[in-house]
Amino acid sequence: MSSYQKYIRNFSIIAHIDHGKSTLADRLLEATGCVSTREMKEQFLDNMDLERERGITIKLQTTRLVYQAKDGNEYILNLIDTPGHVDFNYEVSRSLAACEGAVLVVDATQGVEAQTLANVYLALDEDLEIVPVINKIDLLSARPEEAKAEIEEVIGIDAQDAPLISAKEGINIQDVLEAIVDRVPAPQGNPEGALKALIFDSYYDNYKGVVIYARIMDGSVKKGDTILMMNTKKKYEVTEVGVNAPGQVPVAELGTGSVGYICASIKQVSDARVGDTITLADNPADEPLPGYKKVQPMVYCGIYPAEGEKYENVKDALEKLQVNDAAFLFEPETSTALGFGFRCGFLGLLHMEIIVERLEREFDLAIITTSPSVIYRVVMTDGSVRMIQNPSNLPTPQEIDHIEEPVVKADIMLPNEYVGSIMELCQDRRGKMTHMEYLTETRVVLHYEMPLNEVIYDFFDALKSKTRGYGSLDYEFLRYERSNVVKMDVLLNKSLVDAFSMIVHESKAAARGRFVCEKLKEVIPMHQFEVPIQAAIGQKVIARETVRAYRKDVLAKCYGGDISRKRKLLEKQKEGKKRMRQFGTVEVPQEAFTAVLKYDDNK
Amino acid sequence: MKDNLGVYIHIPFCVRKCNYCDFTSFVGVDEELKNEYIKCLLNQIRQTACGRMVGGDCGVCGEGDGIPALQGRRVDSVFFGGGTPSLLSPVQMENIMVELRRTFNLTEDCEITMEANPGTVTSWQLREYRELGVNRLSFGVQSMEAEMLAVLGRIHGEREAADSMEMARKAGFDNVNLDLMFGIPGQTQEYWQSTLRKITALAPEHISFYSLQVEEGTPIYNDIKFGRLTPLSEEDDRRMYHRGLAYLREQGYHQYEISNGAKAGRECRHNVKYWTLQEYVGLGLSAHGFVNGIRYSCDEDMTRYIKTVQRGESPVVWSHQNTLAETASEFMFTGLRLFRGVDLKEFQNRFGISAERMYAGEMAELNRFCQQGFLSIDKEEDGAFSNMRLTERGMDISNRIMALFV
Repeated sequence: MSSYQKYIRNFSIIAHIDHGKSTLADRLLEATGCVSTREMKEQFLDNMDLERERGITIKLQTTRLVYQAKDGNEYILNLIDTPGHVDFNYEVSRSLAACEGAVLVVDATQGVEAQTLANVYLALDEDLEIVPVINKIDLLSARPEEAKAEIEEVIGIDAQDAPLISAKEGINIQDVLEAIVDRVPAPQGNPEGALKALIFDSYYDNYKGVVIYARIMDGSVKKGDTILMMNTKKKYEVTEVGVNAPGQVPVAELGTGSVGYICASIKQVSDARVGDTITLADNPADEPLPGYKKVQPMVYCGIYPAEGEKYENVKDALEKLQVNDAAFLFEPETSTALGFGFRCGFLGLLHMEIIVERLEREFDLAIITTSPSVIYRVVMTDGSVRMIQNPSNLPTPQEIDHIEEPVVKADIMLPNEYVGSIMELCQDRRGKMTHMEYLTETRVVLHYEMPLNEVIYDFFDALKSKTRGYGSLDYEFLRYERSNVVKMDVLLNKSLVDAFSMIVHESKAAARGRFVCEKLKEVIPMHQFEVPIQAAIGQKVIARETVRAYRKDVLAKCYGGDISRKRKLLEKQKEGKKRMRQFGTVEVPQEAFTAVLKYDDNK
Repeated sequence: MKDNLGVYIHIPFCVRKCNYCDFTSFVGVDEELKNEYIKCLLNQIRQTACGRMVGGDCGVCGEGDGIPALQGRRVDSVFFGGGTPSLLSPVQMENIMVELRRTFNLTEDCEITMEANPGTVTSWQLREYRELGVNRLSFGVQSMEAEMLAVLGRIHGEREAADSMEMARKAGFDNVNLDLMFGIPGQTQEYWQSTLRKITALAPEHISFYSLQVEEGTPIYNDIKFGRLTPLSEEDDRRMYHRGLAYLREQGYHQYEISNGAKAGRECRHNVKYWTLQEYVGLGLSAHGFVNGIRYSCDEDMTRYIKTVQRGESPVVWSHQNTLAETASEFMFTGLRLFRGVDLKEFQNRFGISAERMYAGEMAELNRFCQQGFLSIDKEEDGAFSNMRLTERGMDISNRIMALFV
């Protein structure tokens, strides 16, 4: 170990979604003088509006802090932030692999949650030193001793000396920095060895091309080196290396144990995938670092330009997003109902919501999204296998031998008083409980195997609603399982609208069909004629509602020549119509597509 | 030679506000305020004469704001609307009529209409009005059933309607309109039929019949909202409309507009101006006008209206110079209220483009309305459109179709 390695600490922060991770990160920056309080808002946090609004970290950010410790030495603390959602588990694991330690933030009022636990396990898998911190001690309802006891009981690490802090109020932040210096080991690695650098994040920059964030495990890298991506086998010449201080500061070289960014005129994020190993082309390492996975989308949906929106605009925006997001896939598809659009693949529902929201907000697009679907493994009568993610592409029943659906391992952590209602919910969603664990007297983890199909619709909303927000969910793909699923179609005025088709389990079809018909009845306006809404499996109608015909839409009196009032009324009417999508003779508002997906408490 | 002008004069006074009314009118106004208002009306007529209609200073008469001086313009219709214009005394009416004649050139056959409420007029009054030149009366009868009149909050009964009609005839009015309303909560088809029979028995020259429109904030709106009244279904409302149309047609009333029927030659000239893009001046509180391609409206606030006019300024608070496209769209959506429809050759002459080209983007939908029997389009031999009109069924959903042109 070189002498400077001794003074490096690479760490992450693990916390449940709203337990104060970002606030703590900000405090650490402030305390080490990297960013003044005044700059705070505009500089560090402002990266993505969406993140701030939702209070979750979507995209990783890494920052180098310089800290003068009580032992008199100056340390370089590399904070590698991790995304806080189950959809981004793989990214989390790669970020953790770049660290030697993790600060575990536990809310003094809420204790340990499933998401936290899942990430702690990921950290333990990477042999990380866990530094527990109890946050929000300024709140009246804080129970720091209970939180400590829970950490010891649930995770099995010593928490007696855990700093008691309030990130919001800036209380005891120094203790956290000292704990990091004391407890997180300095990075190992051979400075003389062949370069091995782990990519844990990358994003596209308009001027520099792809900016890679990497942890140097062995060797070093500098400007002018030709690097080789060991998994994708692509070669590039390095144009710049540097660190985030914060703000990118070029340096001469990134040495062993350090964390920094590398630019090499790379055009696509997918060419510098998270988890890949960078080495030097003329002096390559023997083998890549372990753990690389090409992430695969788990959830698909159609994205279509809404009425009046240009196909090209949507395409451009999707391309721009893809450059920056290796996990997001799209390809053109057509729907008889919606015309030309795209089938898009996402890591999970949150990932999908984020992309859709960015399309609407950053790119100002009017789009329609269709029901999300998982990928079904369809075994044909001739023995061949087809992977189907668009319900409309499902072959006819005669051609199908059987269908398999993805099943996930779902861990649900919740206070014990909600166990009954959540078990009911899981059963309703075709979940099979494998076992149940009492973490503490009041805290339970339910382990389920559940079809992903049931998780993606509204399970998370239902869980949150039934546990008053205290339940949390973590899931990962388990296997494909044979299942009795069928394609359910929706017919408006007797004609099929393919954009509403969905694949559902046979046992759920009738209820789902009724739900969809009722929702559509609420949002479809009256027409000049009655509009029957039907849900059908093949030729068999399983649910039906009718939108009554309107008989009258006339402004009888137009008083005293007040034409402008009449005009305003007609304009309003026209405006309302613009937001409609025409399916044959039926006009459907855009919100119909989301309405059929929403969780309804009363159901 | 400019077309003849129409003049609308708003009289915002009522004995009592009806339950469905959201027009600008005041109850229990003393004579002093009434006189003040009349004075302002006279002032506004003079302002109009020198072209000071749409804001701004007087400056040199006829200059400045796009509205030409209207002094001496030929006027062939005057309409006193309300409110209840028959609350004006003959003297007050006389003042207005004198000022109108001084300012405009009222044609020999000028149609001068006055709205009146049954029960607010006397024979003497009517004779005086007639003498001043008023030659058309429009009575707000609304219904001939006491129960319905109570729901509407009208101050008169069935008797007063018949009496008023008789007085009008005696005073020399040979052109009378009766206003009717249907679709009233609690109204049955039988009630409606009976009202129609009683009305036609009085033999007016013109009958207007409107479907009750429930406006937010009116007493009837609240009655419905809080369940004290049950609104009529759309089906019942439409049945009344179509039965009414058929019955009145039988009785010799020719339907010329969505809500208006008349004996031959007795269409309301003033009303037709609204639907055919003709010019009209609006005078008084909240009145609307359309002159020189400019639409405008006057202040709705009584105190402000009076103060503004007293200062010698224009009470016009809103005005808008129509673009060609706007005028074209008005040509379409107002014209479609007439049973004869819109003359699309006139459209071409007026706007320099055919309607089918102007509204090419809406053709698919227009064709669909035609196929469904809501709309009818006549074509020339060469395929050019010559006329477009709503069918009787199309009248029911006229807004949907008209909205295509805005």
